[in-house]
Amino acid sequence: MLFSSIEFLFRFLPVFMLIYLLVPEKYRNFVLLSGSLVFYGVGEPYYVLLLVFSILINYGLGRLILNDKLIEYKLPFLVFTLIVDFGLLFIFKYQNFVVENINKLVSYEAIPVLDLVLPLGISFYTFQTVSYLIDCYRGKIKKAPSLIEFAVYVSMFPQLIAGPIVKFDEVSEKLKKRRISAGGLENGLKRFSIGLGYKVLLANQIGTLWNTIMTAGAGNLSAPVAWLGAFAYSFQIYFDFWGYSLMAKGLGEMLGFRLPKNFDNPYASKSISEFWRRWHITLGRWFKEYLYIPMGGNRKGFVRTSFNLLIVWAFTGLWHGAGWNFLLWGLAFFVIISIEKSGIGKWLEKSKILGHIYVIAVIPITWVIFAITDIGQLGMYLQNMFGIHTGNVMVGNTQLFRYIKEYGVLFILCMIFATPYPMRLYRGYKNRWLVILIVAAVFWFSVYEIMVGSNNPFLYFRF
Amino acid sequence: MKRMKRMKDLDLRHIDLKRLDIKCWKNILRNCPYLIVLIITWLFMTVGGILLMLYRDYSGFKPDAFWTQPFFAVIMETEMNDGINSVVQTGNQAQEALALLKESDDRSGWMFAGISGVIYDSTKDYIAKAEAAKEEEINEPAADEVVGQTLFTTYEPHEIDSIYYSDAGKVALTTEYPYVKVEEDYFDDAIFFGDSRTLGISDYSGLNADFYCENGMTIYKLLDEKGVVCQATGERDDLNQVLQQKKYGKIYIMLGMNELGYRDTAYFLEQYAAVLLQLREWQPEAVIYLQANLHVSREKNNIKTEFNNININDKNAAIATLADGKGIFYLDVNPLFTDSEGYLNGDLTFDGVHLFAQGYMTWRDFLMEHAVVVEED
Repeated sequence: MLFSSIEFLFRFLPVFMLIYLLVPEKYRNFVLLSGSLVFYGVGEPYYVLLLVFSILINYGLGRLILNDKLIEYKLPFLVFTLIVDFGLLFIFKYQNFVVENINKLVSYEAIPVLDLVLPLGISFYTFQTVSYLIDCYRGKIKKAPSLIEFAVYVSMFPQLIAGPIVKFDEVSEKLKKRRISAGGLENGLKRFSIGLGYKVLLANQIGTLWNTIMTAGAGNLSAPVAWLGAFAYSFQIYFDFWGYSLMAKGLGEMLGFRLPKNFDNPYASKSISEFWRRWHITLGRWFKEYLYIPMGGNRKGFVRTSFNLLIVWAFTGLWHGAGWNFLLWGLAFFVIISIEKSGIGKWLEKSKILGHIYVIAVIPITWVIFAITDIGQLGMYLQNMFGIHTGNVMVGNTQLFRYIKEYGVLFILCMIFATPYPMRLYRGYKNRWLVILIVAAVFWFSVYEIMVGSNNPFLYFRF
Repeated sequence: MKRMKRMKDLDLRHIDLKRLDIKCWKNILRNCPYLIVLIITWLFMTVGGILLMLYRDYSGFKPDAFWTQPFFAVIMETEMNDGINSVVQTGNQAQEALALLKESDDRSGWMFAGISGVIYDSTKDYIAKAEAAKEEEINEPAADEVVGQTLFTTYEPHEIDSIYYSDAGKVALTTEYPYVKVEEDYFDDAIFFGDSRTLGISDYSGLNADFYCENGMTIYKLLDEKGVVCQATGERDDLNQVLQQKKYGKIYIMLGMNELGYRDTAYFLEQYAAVLLQLREWQPEAVIYLQANLHVSREKNNIKTEFNNININDKNAAIATLADGKGIFYLDVNPLFTDSEGYLNGDLTFDGVHLFAQGYMTWRDFLMEHAVVVEED
C-alpha cells in the first residue's frame, strides 16, 4: 500500500487511527505492529513473511550480542547477523544483476537466473536492523528491548517502505512510552498533507514531462530539450522523495513519534558535498557511521581516505539499485566530492552565487545518470545535453516551446518550493485559518488527482 | 485573520469513551481545526456522493470496488466521466448504427467486411501473411471498380476471464487494395483523430495535416462538445463544427487504447461504428482510414489486467470489420514495429507503448505507400 493511494488514505489510515487512539496505552505497540504488517501484507502477501523472519532473527541475535555471558562470542554473532542480513538483501536485490552479468561475460547461461521480485522496502529495513545490531555490538544499546518494541521499530508503517532510516536510540524511549496529543495529531496530519501535495501535485505532474521527453527518444533531443528534461527529472525525484519523507514524518508525529529529518533543502546547497549533507540525510548518516568511519574515515592519510570514499560512494550508488548506471552515479559523486575536497568545495560554499550555479548545473547531470538504466540510452542522453548528436535532432525548438508553454507554471512552482521559504512561511503561520484552508485544499486536490488516475487505470498511463 | 487561540494541548493517553465529556471534545475541537475541516469536507462529499448515486442512474461507480472507491468518488468522477457518459449516441442508437452498417450492402460504400471478407484458416505467423498480402496487392492489376478486402488470419483463441475483452481468435490484416504511393502533399487535406500515438505522428512525422488528438482521447469523447485539442493551434475545437465547416479528402482514425479498460469490445464497436457513421454523414466523399492500434512491448503486456495485446487485437479486429474496401480502409502498421510474437519491439520504445520519434517517420512512409486516390469526375 502506498501513502498516495485511496486505500491508504480513506480505508487503512482512518480505521487504524481510530483503533490506535481508542485502545489503552499498553496495547498501542501491538496495534501498531499488527497495522504495519497489514499495511505491508496487502501489497506483499508473501514477502511479509520475509519481514517477520528478518525481525525474529535479528532480534534473537541482538539478544545474544547483548548477553554478558556470551561476551566473547559477540563478534562472531555480529558477523553472522551481517551475513544473514546482507545475504538476504543480496539474494533479493542484487543476485539477478550479478548472475546476468556473469552469464553475459561467459556468454552462456552458466548460472540460472532466479528473477525474484524486489521485496518492498528491503533496503530500508535491512539498514535499520543492521544499525541496531552494530549499535548493540558497540554498546550503544545496552539493554535489549522487548520483541514487540523491536518489531515496531523495524516495521512501523510510516518508515517501512521508503525511510527515513531511523536509528534505534532515536525512538527507543518513544517505543516504551509515547504521548499522543491532539496537537501532534493535527500537525502530523498537516505535514502529511503537504507531503502528499508535493508527491501528487508536483512530482507526478512534472514527471510526465520527463516521460514525454524520454518517450521521444534519448538520442533525438536538442541540448535545451535534454536539459529541460534533466531539470524536470530533478524536480520529480526531489518532490517525490521529499514528499514521501514528509508524509512519513507526519504519520510518525500522529502516532507520537519523532522521526528524523531526511531533507534539508538540498537544492539550495552551494557544493555537492553540502548537497549530500542535506539530501537523504539518514542514508548519508548510515554510510558515514557504519561504513566510512569504521574503515578509518579520513584519519589514515590521503590514499586511504580516497579509497574509503570510493567504497562508500560505490555502495551508495548500488544501494539505490542493482544496475551499472547506479554504480556510475555513485562513482560520479566520488569524483566530484574528491575534487571538492581539494579546497574548491569550501571556496564554493563561501561564494554567494557561484556555488548555487555550480550545484544547479551539476545535479541534473547526476540525476540523468540515475534515471536512465540503459547505458546506451544514457550515453546518448548525456551527449545530447552537450549538443553531440549521432542522428537527427527530432525534438527541437518546436517541442521546446510547447513544453515551456505547457509546463512553465509548474516549473516555477517547483523552483519556489525547492527553496526554504515556503516551508519557513508555513511554520510561521501554520495555525492561521488561511493556511489551514490552503493545506486542506492541497489535500483534496491531491485526492482528486489520485482518483482521476486510479479509477480508470488507463487514464493513469495517459496515452 | 484571527490567530487561533491554543488551549493546553490535550494529552490523548487514550480516548476513554466513558470519560469523553464536553470539555474533552472542546479541547479536540480547539486543537485540531485542520482535522475537523478534513472530516467535515469528507462528510459533505460522502453524503453528496450517496445522494448523487441514489438520484441518478450512475453507471461509473462499481460497488464491488469499495476498497479503492469511497462514496465521494462519485462526485469527483462526474467530472472526468462526463465525456464517457454523454457519448455521441445513446446505446440503442449506436446499436442501430452498427446494424445499419452491417446490413446495407447496397448503400454506396457501406459493406460489412466481417461478412464479405474471406477468413483464412489458422496461421500463426501473421506477418508472413501480411507480406504475402502485400505482394498480392502489387501484382493485382487495378480494375475499374476495385473493392478492397479486409482479411483475417485466425488462430486458437485463449480463454479470457475479463469483463472488458475476449480473445478475438483472429488478426485483421491491412485491407487489400491497389494502394498508390503518394507525396506529402496528399495529406494537406487530411485530418487525423487519435490519442497520444497520433500525437506522436503529429509531432514527428512532419505531415501538414490537421491533427485533432490528445493524451487519453477515446472514441467516446471524440465528438463530445468539449472538443479535442487541435495541434496546430493548441485550442480545443468541437469536431461537430470543424467537420461541418471544412471539407476533408482523407480521415485517419486511430483510437482504442484508452478504451481497453472501459466496457467491453462489443460496446466499443457500437460506439466506433456510430462515430464512423456520423463522420461519413459529414464528409461523404472523404477516404476514411481506420488505423490499427499499435501493440505494446513484452514488458508492458500485462495479461492480469486489461492492458495487453490480446485486448488490443480484440479491439483492432473489431475495428477492421468496419472497413468496406471502397471508402473505408483498415491499415495495420503493427508488422513494421513488432516482433514475431506481436510484441512492440523493445528497441523502438522507451515506455513500451509509444515509439521513439524516428519511428513516426517509418509510420509516415507506410501511410504514404498506402494511399487511396479518388478520381474526381
